[in-house]
Amino acid sequence: MPNSTADHNSSTGNKVAFNPSMTEITGATILLENVTKSYGAKKAAVNQLTLEIPAGKTVMFVGPSGCGKTTTLKMINRLIEPTSGRIVINGEDVTTMNGDELRRRIGYVIQAGGLLPHLTVGANVGLVPKMLKWDKQRIADRTDELLELVSLDPEIYRDRYPKELSGGQQQRVGVARALAADPPVLLMDEPFGAVDPITRQRLQEELIHVQAELHKTIVFVTHDFDEAVKLGDWIVIFNEGGKIEQYGTPEQILAHPANEFVEDFIGSGAGLKQLGLTRVRDVDIRQAPAFTVGEDAATAVAHMNEAGVLRAIVLDSRDRPIGWVTRRQLERMTTVGAAHARQFPVVSDSATLDDALDTMLVAGSSDAAVTGSRGAYQGIITVQTVIKAIDHISADPEEVSTPVGHNTGAIPKLATGENGVISYAMDEEETATEVENDSAPWAEHSDPAETHRGSERA
Amino acid sequence: MSSATQEQTETKEATASLTQANSWKGLLIQPIVLLVILGVMFWWMSTADLTETERITLNASYLSTLAWEHLKLTIISAVIVLVTAIPVGILLTRGPFRKLTTPVMALANIGQAAPPVGLIVLFAFWLSFGTTAAIVTLVVYAFLPVLKNTMVGLEAVDKRTIEAARGMGMSPGMVLWKVELPLAVPVMLAGIRTALVLLVGTATLATFINGGGLGLLITTGVNLALDRVLIFGSLLVAVFALAVDWIARVIETAVTPKGL
Amino acid sequence: MGSYLSDRWPQILSASWQHFSLVAQCLLLATVIAIFIAALCYRSKTLSGVANSVSAVGLTIPSFALLGLMIAPLGFGVAPAVVVLTFYCLLPILRNALVGLAGVDRSLIEAARGIGMSSMETFFKVELPMAWPVILAGMRVSAQMTMGVAAISAYVLGPGLGSFIFSGLSRLGGANSFESVVTAVVAVVVIALILDGLLLLLGRLTISRGIRA
Repeated sequence: MPNSTADHNSSTGNKVAFNPSMTEITGATILLENVTKSYGAKKAAVNQLTLEIPAGKTVMFVGPSGCGKTTTLKMINRLIEPTSGRIVINGEDVTTMNGDELRRRIGYVIQAGGLLPHLTVGANVGLVPKMLKWDKQRIADRTDELLELVSLDPEIYRDRYPKELSGGQQQRVGVARALAADPPVLLMDEPFGAVDPITRQRLQEELIHVQAELHKTIVFVTHDFDEAVKLGDWIVIFNEGGKIEQYGTPEQILAHPANEFVEDFIGSGAGLKQLGLTRVRDVDIRQAPAFTVGEDAATAVAHMNEAGVLRAIVLDSRDRPIGWVTRRQLERMTTVGAAHARQFPVVSDSATLDDALDTMLVAGSSDAAVTGSRGAYQGIITVQTVIKAIDHISADPEEVSTPVGHNTGAIPKLATGENGVISYAMDEEETATEVENDSAPWAEHSDPAETHRGSERA
Repeated sequence: MSSATQEQTETKEATASLTQANSWKGLLIQPIVLLVILGVMFWWMSTADLTETERITLNASYLSTLAWEHLKLTIISAVIVLVTAIPVGILLTRGPFRKLTTPVMALANIGQAAPPVGLIVLFAFWLSFGTTAAIVTLVVYAFLPVLKNTMVGLEAVDKRTIEAARGMGMSPGMVLWKVELPLAVPVMLAGIRTALVLLVGTATLATFINGGGLGLLITTGVNLALDRVLIFGSLLVAVFALAVDWIARVIETAVTPKGL
Repeated sequence: MGSYLSDRWPQILSASWQHFSLVAQCLLLATVIAIFIAALCYRSKTLSGVANSVSAVGLTIPSFALLGLMIAPLGFGVAPAVVVLTFYCLLPILRNALVGLAGVDRSLIEAARGIGMSSMETFFKVELPMAWPVILAGMRVSAQMTMGVAAISAYVLGPGLGSFIFSGLSRLGGANSFESVVTAVVAVVVIALILDGLLLLLGRLTISRGIRA
């Protein structure tokens, strides 16, 4: 538990704050404009999807099987040709260009790496550069560089065949191969679906590190919502027909599922997932009466009556909480004593909320004392506080312009975002109908899911 | 990388090289046995007290002429089968031609079900007696296994591998040449070997329509009631067929891509 | 052609029946022998390997050569035909029987032994029924292959439709020689289809619905 919490923090730390002056984006913006894919007379697999994928971000496509997430992914590199609509990458319309040339510019990773079994690991990684007619030395150098990037020693693995590698190693080679020609965009289709959970976790962490280094635009299809939360800067939740149910950051989606479908999809663990993102010191800590051992009991009781509470914290001489006493107990004492104090769960203010909650649950208590430096008493945190904190934290919108994503058929126009990056925004009149009063402050930031719902009802 | 995975990888490799070594060792036994049999046969031929009529057929130069004829029949028809059945097989697995699969397979199946001895006579009636009719029969007869295995081999290539190749920007032609065909090679080779064995066996029937080949030894033996020619000829045909099979297997082992 | 057929209809029918019954009987005999050999071999990797190699080598030997070899000890007629046909029928069935028996889940066998079945009972009640679909597939291959071999056996005066081919060949250009050969070829294809259909039917009737694909 502590481990995964740490991971979570480090990964969100990497992805939340985006500072263009510090990191160079090598990724490209992708825009799907009103894209539809239908097979014959059947219901469209993806219907009128408009979706903006910001440059240098990891965008996760999640949804139940058959929801069109994979179809959408494959339309980006046109392995599946859209029936109608446009695909724009970095401002360039790629809908009609030669599909093979397009795909050489886009990295593609599938389950088990999709390695060609009759070629060595090195030849697999060098495939795209070879098609792009790089010279031999450059291909060899690049191959070794990439194998090292994915933690495979080139000396050992370069000349092996895929079948001589474990599943996790094959997957790494798959990622290396996709990165070979340094494409701005990486498409990953359930890449970690076929490996065991431990290997998957390791591969996920490696991907986070690789992405922290390279800042590609990654579109990642998964059916595993936890994976989406872990890896994604943004998550798109799809429903049947490529319908976007919600488009937001993991925090936004966890805190404010747009509708019942999203709630169901997140499952019951949503709150817990959210708790790992915040620390106790970031939430409102309640003040409760606290008395040091040796204080006059009658004064204490008076204080408590004034505050209208039934319990108080007992502190030792160094202000450290040692337990709690009830008013009734105090009434029978002359001075506040440690003897009657009942054990009380204590958490540090640097603990994460899920640690805090865990502590309370283990102690069978609905609240816990919070301590600051040197264990000094700060206040108490309750289960209620933790739950409220979730709202509070997520209600704090991130300073990133929210990308566009909906199925209404409206096409966004080019705009310059607040961080100076060119992005797409909806027309004025469109935006007017989008905002829906859900009492959630972040809704004003034209959240994609809200947009969708607003227009649906309009 | 955990040591467990490393170990697993190493064992995998070890078994891979082991099976490879095994298959090569297996390939060594067959030619040795065949050479021994052949040696015994020719030693018997040179020492046995043969009659004049037996001597006409059982001598090295006549035997090598027949063997060469037999080989020519086999090779020519094999080449024709390869250059026709493989492209047809490839074509039938490409989008627009897929719907032709059923009729073509039905035709090839009937070609296989018809008795070769009847087919060869029919073709001889049609094309006159001789090598041509023999070759046509052989081609018709050996077409199916090559066609079928080409198609099966291509269809068996993991669709995800093909998609990965397409996803990397390979054109359909490149995917065929660099991915599908190399991966289909083992299955295709098995079909080609089956075809070769069928060809060698069926080529013995060419003698009925004056098409030449080692079958002549058997018909001579039967017609002239020369038991020793009959047995010698039959054995020689068997050894010949096993030798061709061996060569086919050597090629199979050598040509199969190493990573498979 | 029509008059040829109507004139010789009884002969054609009887030759077809002979051809069919030759193949069917050899097939039956071969199946029994193949299962017997497979039962002896399948528990040992070495024996299975030997049986498989023998079967591969056997299938490589041209049928005409084997027929020739059989004339010396057995003379002409039905005997060499039966031996050769049974031999060729045997090989694919043996191979499939080995594959099928080896493919039976070990835990099933243990379960059978666990409820008190003897080794014999286990074989006939569990292993053989499980391997039967594979064996039957081998029988279909054998049947198709030996249809053609049976035609060649007429050269050593064996029974069946081959005699029409060889008589046509010997009367080359003569009256009805072509019709005779065509009739035989078509009849062989037809009875091959019939036998295959019967084997399919046999499968329908004998393969437990629980393991049918």
